[in-house]
Amino acid sequence: MRRTVVVEAHGLAKSFSIPSVRRETVREHALDLFRRHPTERLQVLRDVSFALRAGESLGLMGRNGSGKSTLLKIVSGIYTQDAGTVEARVPLTAVLELGVGWNPDLDAIDNIELLGTVMGLSLRELRAATPEILAFAGVERFARLELRHYSSGMAARLAYAVAFRAVRDVLILDEIFAVGDAEFKERCQARYKELHASGRAMLLVSHEPRTIAAFCDRALLLEEGRIIMDGPAADVAAAYLALLTDAPSPRTLVAG
Amino acid sequence: MLPLAPAHGRVRAASPLDLVWTLVRTDFKTRYHGTLGGFVWALLKPLSMFVVLLSVFSYVFASDPQYRLDLIIGLFLYEFFQEATKSGLLSLRAKGFLLTKARFPSWVLVVASASNALITLALFSVVLILFLGMSGRAPSIAAVALYCVYQAHFFAIVTGFSLAASVLFMRFRDLNQVWDVVAQAGFFVAPIIYPIGVLPERLHIFLYLWPPTPIVLFSRSVLVDGRIPSALAHVLLTAEAAIILGIGALVYRWRAPRVAEEL
Repeated sequence: MRRTVVVEAHGLAKSFSIPSVRRETVREHALDLFRRHPTERLQVLRDVSFALRAGESLGLMGRNGSGKSTLLKIVSGIYTQDAGTVEARVPLTAVLELGVGWNPDLDAIDNIELLGTVMGLSLRELRAATPEILAFAGVERFARLELRHYSSGMAARLAYAVAFRAVRDVLILDEIFAVGDAEFKERCQARYKELHASGRAMLLVSHEPRTIAAFCDRALLLEEGRIIMDGPAADVAAAYLALLTDAPSPRTLVAG
Repeated sequence: MLPLAPAHGRVRAASPLDLVWTLVRTDFKTRYHGTLGGFVWALLKPLSMFVVLLSVFSYVFASDPQYRLDLIIGLFLYEFFQEATKSGLLSLRAKGFLLTKARFPSWVLVVASASNALITLALFSVVLILFLGMSGRAPSIAAVALYCVYQAHFFAIVTGFSLAASVLFMRFRDLNQVWDVVAQAGFFVAPIIYPIGVLPERLHIFLYLWPPTPIVLFSRSVLVDGRIPSALAHVLLTAEAAIILGIGALVYRWRAPRVAEEL
């Protein structure tokens, strides 16, 4: 039986404008009111379509600048696409740019409540889960320490712990296993497998072919903003490696 | 082991009120460093300011007790306006780290940004009404209720401004400095240190267009003078607040989808 589609993207396009002269203040705009400056458009995504099904783990690979992070942000609802549609039929939890941007003047518990409520957890759920979140991040002893005193690794571990607790139906991860020491990476991997086994759908970005092959059922390969391959994770991981080593063009590897 | 969150459909969606409460609480905590002394200072600040201003003005304006109360009310309300609009203008930039983490109703950040100023205003209002009561000029229940209605209008005006200014600030990075100048000049447009009667009546309409003016005058009128402004004045005030809130919401709706890209 075919599983239900939980996230569907169709014909997504996104570009950013790069002005030749950057004007950021009222003064600069006023002084330059009648002067036109050329603006270049950087096309980041072109006609991207895919579907993520319930319980599926979908990998996303591509070189730097291929549009992976932009695609994740559009799917997560953080960026707005220029064209196309993206429909999420269940709540999404995204783990993007974590480890930066905590409120440094608040302690770990307050930051957990701040990030957790933004991610859609109720305060009741968060308060019940706080001890486990602290334990997962391995920072129980520093629960009342302000985040300004945390190392970047500790802060990132805490962010992952909140996001891993917050996920309801779909988890979106950018370079999931790039944080912390070997023990924490192992804990993240175990958690990922647990979530996958419980029927959650996953969308995982990684530059690491072994990670995609080991943790995903299917994968997409992005190149210059287009999906050039959609197929079994191990095949896409191999195509990505080939792309990096300038072996036969991945366009020849597109399935079907 | 970290427990799994219940899947969609098996749990009631988290209320935005949880987010509002967390933002208000953590803002308050950040501002007063989460200490008991900080909390007590937050409570004492409006009270001590009231006592200081009352003492000074009682001496300076000994022959006109009405004026000193008018002045104190005007100063406090304008202080709320300045503080709340400044926090609102900076709100999205200050909390930008949350905007890139998840999709959530970001207007909550703007609305919650006025919380600290609102707490101070609420405490000042309690102190003022208690003082009026103790000095034998207790306002009626209707007057207190109307005063609360005016502050609700003020909050709507501040929210409308903040919605628009917070998204425009992402594009115009010196908007806060421009607003500082406007708000300082505006202090002298609102009849806070002078009675509105000293200006020709034909100019009054322009003064009323500056939002703090009707709020300050109406608040003084019901609390100090015991006079209720006309029904038409109330309609015009509501219209002014609705227009500012509406324009703010429209500007916000236009710019907000791109805010995360401008961080």
